[in-house]
Amino acid sequence: MVTKRDKPRIALVIGSGSVKCAAAIGLKKVLEREHIDVDMVVGCSGGAIYASLIALGWSVERATESTLRMWTREVTAKRSTRGILQLTLPWVFKFDESFGLIDDRLINRRLHDGYGNAIFADTLIPLFVTATDFYSGEQVVLSEGRIEDAVRASISIPYIFPPQKLNGRFLIDGYQSDPLPIGVAIKEGADIIIAMGFESPYQEHVTSLMRYNFQIASMTSNNLLKTNYAFHNLAHHSEIIPIIPEFKHRIKLFDTDKLPYVIEEGEHAAEQQLPFIKSLLGK
Amino acid sequence: MEIHDRQADGVTILSLRGSIDAMTAPKITEFIQGQVSRGNIKLVADFSGVDYTSSAGLRVLLGAIKETRAQGGDLRLTGVQPDVLKVLNLSGFTNILKMFDTADAAVASYS
Repeated sequence: MVTKRDKPRIALVIGSGSVKCAAAIGLKKVLEREHIDVDMVVGCSGGAIYASLIALGWSVERATESTLRMWTREVTAKRSTRGILQLTLPWVFKFDESFGLIDDRLINRRLHDGYGNAIFADTLIPLFVTATDFYSGEQVVLSEGRIEDAVRASISIPYIFPPQKLNGRFLIDGYQSDPLPIGVAIKEGADIIIAMGFESPYQEHVTSLMRYNFQIASMTSNNLLKTNYAFHNLAHHSEIIPIIPEFKHRIKLFDTDKLPYVIEEGEHAAEQQLPFIKSLLGK
Repeated sequence: MEIHDRQADGVTILSLRGSIDAMTAPKITEFIQGQVSRGNIKLVADFSGVDYTSSAGLRVLLGAIKETRAQGGDLRLTGVQPDVLKVLNLSGFTNILKMFDTADAAVASYS
């Protein structure tokens, strides 16, 4: 056994990775089949969506259906007039921390329709969602209030969506502080941490300022992922089991048509680590 | 976990077979510490039989690297399998560890 406790506390941590995070549904399927109960779920950015759906106890079908409804190309289709004006004439239109190039009303509505008025207290498994404080750069762990607000904060991709203002703080995407927030699970007393993470893809061609920005963001985020992962591995008293699905095809931001494939790869990656998880649990 | 050792040109080659995790880590640590206490500080760990390493495995590696380097030696790897390499990459260990395709190349790197 890895702990002196009778039953080790198991955490599931789902990192940032947009649609690829749906692989967590495949992982959860495998854990359910093996009767491996999770004591807490932590999610960041795209991972926050799936962490919350898992914590709410939604079935695979319902989670898939919900993703298809929530996350479509339309959510980034409408430019924010205010954002564009702020960018082009910053002194006239008062450029500030609320900047975002995309009109976020549709994504806000979709999240509201998806989660209803669900709050953290409604979850079957304790849920922690991470975001980043725009002014201090600190990781902010959200574990109370409306889930839609926390998820909205966690997916506030810089430049794209405006930050989410919560409790007086401007919150942006959780990946800015830690793309795979294992530290939250450590702090919350987890023993065995099952961590599903994804490296940000690099651009095949850099043909616009936005793609240039994504390229730089991927470098920073991937290096941050590795640095934090190393630190957490060395700092944790027990086991961290990485689940890293491998995708043969590039999964883009709105490739929701590839959800079944993504879920399948998540299941496959989980199956590979299952013997080790079971041996740790003495199963 | 099985561990065997052999000498080659003043270098100790450790052949490991199995998984490196919380359950096997103490045995590996003890084995490596035994080698170091006997003055065997130039180590090559042959990972061709290692199919998995967890966070406990990474801690074992780091401990061994620090201990051997502090005494002027090193721990170098060979035969790292793709799944283990993925974890070493993700955790940045490939930046601090020397890895070689063959045990011979790892041994030769000490000369």
